[in-house]
Amino acid sequence: MALNDVKEWLYGCSRCGTCKDILNIFVPACPSGEMYQLESYYPSGKIAVARAVSEGKLPLDNDDTRERIYACTGCLSCEQQCGVYHHQHIFEIIQAVRTEAVGQGLLNPAYMVMVESLKKDDNVFGKPKAERGDWARDLDLKDAGQEKVATVYHAGCMLSFDRELWNVPRSAVALLKAAGVDVGIMGAGESCCGGRAYEIGYVGEFTKYAEHFLETFNSLGAGRVVTSCSDGYSTFRKLYPRVNIEMKFEVRHTVEYLDELIKGGKLKLTKKVPMKVTYHDPCHLGRHLGDDGIYDAPREVLKAVPGLELVEMERHRENAWCCGAGAGVSQANPEFALWTAGERLKEARATGAGALVTACPWCERNFKDAAKEYGQDIEIYDIAEVACRAL
Amino acid sequence: MIEAVRSKVVGELEKIVGARYVSTNPADLYIYSQDMTQAEPGWPDAVALPKTVGEIQAIVKLANREKVPVIPYLAGGNIGGLTIPLRGGITLDLKRMDRILEVNDTDMYAVIEPGVTFGHMKACLEKHHPHFVYTYAFSPPSTGVMTNALLQGLDSLSYRYGAASSWVTGLEVVLPTGELVKIGSCAVSDGWQSLAPLPELAGLFLGWQGTTGIITKMAVSLWPKPKHSVQMTFLFMDFEGADKALKALARTRVPDDIISLSFAWAGQEAFVAQSHEKISPYPALPRKPDDPEIIVSVEITGNTREELDAKVGVIEEVARQELKGVRMVGPQSAPSTSAFFPMQMLGVLSSGGGLTWVGSYGPMSHWLEAIKEGCALQDKHGFTRTSYSRVMNEGHFVGLRWLLPYDKGDPVLVEKIKALCRDQMEMIIRHGFIPYKTPVSAIRQLEARADPEWTKLHRRVKEMLDPNNILNPGRWGAPPA
Ligand SMILES: Cc1cc2nc3c(=O)[nH]c(=O)nc-3n(C[C@H](O)[C@H](O)[C@@H](O)COP(=O)(O)OP(=O)(O)OC[C@H]3O[C@@H](n4cnc5c(N)ncnc54)[C@H](O)[C@@H]3O)c2cc1C
Ligand code: SF4
Ligand code: SF4
Repeated sequence: MALNDVKEWLYGCSRCGTCKDILNIFVPACPSGEMYQLESYYPSGKIAVARAVSEGKLPLDNDDTRERIYACTGCLSCEQQCGVYHHQHIFEIIQAVRTEAVGQGLLNPAYMVMVESLKKDDNVFGKPKAERGDWARDLDLKDAGQEKVATVYHAGCMLSFDRELWNVPRSAVALLKAAGVDVGIMGAGESCCGGRAYEIGYVGEFTKYAEHFLETFNSLGAGRVVTSCSDGYSTFRKLYPRVNIEMKFEVRHTVEYLDELIKGGKLKLTKKVPMKVTYHDPCHLGRHLGDDGIYDAPREVLKAVPGLELVEMERHRENAWCCGAGAGVSQANPEFALWTAGERLKEARATGAGALVTACPWCERNFKDAAKEYGQDIEIYDIAEVACRAL
Repeated sequence: MIEAVRSKVVGELEKIVGARYVSTNPADLYIYSQDMTQAEPGWPDAVALPKTVGEIQAIVKLANREKVPVIPYLAGGNIGGLTIPLRGGITLDLKRMDRILEVNDTDMYAVIEPGVTFGHMKACLEKHHPHFVYTYAFSPPSTGVMTNALLQGLDSLSYRYGAASSWVTGLEVVLPTGELVKIGSCAVSDGWQSLAPLPELAGLFLGWQGTTGIITKMAVSLWPKPKHSVQMTFLFMDFEGADKALKALARTRVPDDIISLSFAWAGQEAFVAQSHEKISPYPALPRKPDDPEIIVSVEITGNTREELDAKVGVIEEVARQELKGVRMVGPQSAPSTSAFFPMQMLGVLSSGGGLTWVGSYGPMSHWLEAIKEGCALQDKHGFTRTSYSRVMNEGHFVGLRWLLPYDKGDPVLVEKIKALCRDQMEMIIRHGFIPYKTPVSAIRQLEARADPEWTKLHRRVKEMLDPNNILNPGRWGAPPA
């Protein structure tokens, strides 16, 4: 999306500041503004920058100016709070400025590493492509690239390459198998969904991945793709329709599918898991899906775990505070990413929960790092890990 | 500011508040150079975000030494161009000072820092002191409680208690020369309950648009929250009927709030609240001959159902007895809307980033002629009628403005808005109304009409408090350029 494509929305914002806080409870909504406090970091400031750039009043060749545009986790909390006619396009406007910067050849070094890695190894971490399926090496899972399966489990970049998180995809497939699902994986043949490339302004890269993904999966003949990555899930649901290739399979997030399997009596969670947990709504599983946001399914799955107590944070569901990892922030601005996660951990601790449970590996990774950084005494899990304990 | 001074000042600012809370980045300077209105942009040289009173004192002393302007800022939502630097300098963004320091349950006040917003105040009261209520402007939740009081705003309890400066019961101020001073009972005791019985020095700071001191603490009154509420609405077919009603309702001393809105615009506001679409008062919407002219809403509260019903009875009686022959519909009762405040006012924020108005306080006795002429000017300039009034201080005066949201990306419309505002400004001053949140051009118009001794006194006060003319210079008390 270029600045020209969002022209209609550029003047919507009056800088009324309503999006600084969550409506009705008036606690901070925007991680970027809250951390940096200068007006240019708030959504309204970023829109003002976009407007000024489009009017030729502000050049983008200033690193500090671009830094303000990249200091955005794409959490869409601003879009949730604002009611003005442009409100569903705020992050698009920010992305358009990023695209403009890329178009002007003003590249952010941290993102260039990521983009180079995508080009070379189909992942955003600079890891060898051949290691992509290592998380499942001893699981004896079907190779969906070789034999037809009903359901392909898509691990995504983070869960494929972050060893500390391997328990997440392993738990997810264990649950699917326990429910009798005919599941396989693509292993080393899996590639990035392209969502991150899109968010940091590399629209061309994104399109390449989306086309590749759709063509490959359409040819597999699997009816369903299940993923535990909320980023990937929202990319499939919201961004892939922008590519002109029909999607011939359904995409489900793990929590959504587990909820269905539990309700359908196919998955039985029987063992007691005596934990008090709070649930963090990943932005990509909630606000990014608009009216289709998945808020109930994860809570239903947690409630189905015997002995588990679920308590809510003050900012939850549509108003959840972001984990801080999104839209390339964890790669380019770790200080901001960790601070944002640290704020969330404080909120989680305030509920009295001993663990924060979420449904996105980007959130989980960032929360684990923040807990270490700030010495926060709280455990971090994916829902699948907790549910698996009840098998 | 010349570059050598600028880099020296910025270096010292960074030492005072920390480098991350100082910016000279063009994106920031651009943003702080303008507001929602059509006022000409003016760029600051730097932006600083202090956290403590000591930091503000240090900045003010630095500014004095270097003769650099300092412009206090919270959200820039004043609709008067008041935070736009007229002579460059340091924009002092106070949002980091956002603590509610005390809520005194017995004496019913809150002591707040400059960055406390209407949103913060509401959240704090609802969570920790649900038996209290504050009074809310129609401004967005991110705008300030303190700034609103400093600017003598019109709020949801203004019918009862007057302009927002009336409920200030104590101040702590950093003077333009850097000294810290307390004003009111807090100066001589531990309590912040009242400005009386002392010489009223608060007047040196209230209404001055941050030109005479930077307020670092303010005590404001809180009020017990009645359990029951209702809104009563009248539709008047002509201005004369509305005028009669406002005067009669004002004398009942029964409501909490009495406001009026042009019917033509009320429909647009209702539409946008549902649709979230773009709206504009230009070009004027066609008007049907049987459309009402004005809606009047009356907010009523009661501690008990019986009290509420009795108050409703009084309003109905006034309608029956005193509004005989008036062409109107109502009153009709509906749930009170005040519980929703503060909120994003979509009706005036959905036209393309711009919002302006000629807003004023004036005598009830001249309301009829002023509103008629102001609406006629809107007709002449091709705009939908958008008048908005609020009866103040039990009818002793009235707030009157014409809401003008507009598209900032439409230069032709901006010129039309400027022309309309010029005409309306001249008109209201002629009718004895005084522009509030007074834009600098209106200050000059008032000064031209006023007794020269009045202007001279302003300048003497300003010069006495701010000898180097550093605080928000060029506005009230500005010496001749
Ligand atoms: C949609 C909309 C509706 C509104 N409706 C109303 C309404 O119904 N009633 C009403 O009264 N107002 C209304 N207002 C405007 C009103 O001015 C805000 O309510 C008010 O709180 C000021 O805005 P602010 O907090 O952004 O302050 P700013 O605009 O940032 O500052 C206001 C002034 O105070 C000065 N200042 C800031 N902090 C200090 C300090 N600590 N010490 C000294 N000076 C300081 C600034 O220099 C400036 O002159 C409305 C505004 C909008 C946008
Ligand atoms: S994005 Fe919406 S809520 Fe935020 S400042 Fe702009 S208009 Fe207000
Ligand atoms: S998407 Fe999130 S981080 Fe970005 S501007 Fe909006 S609220 Fe702030």
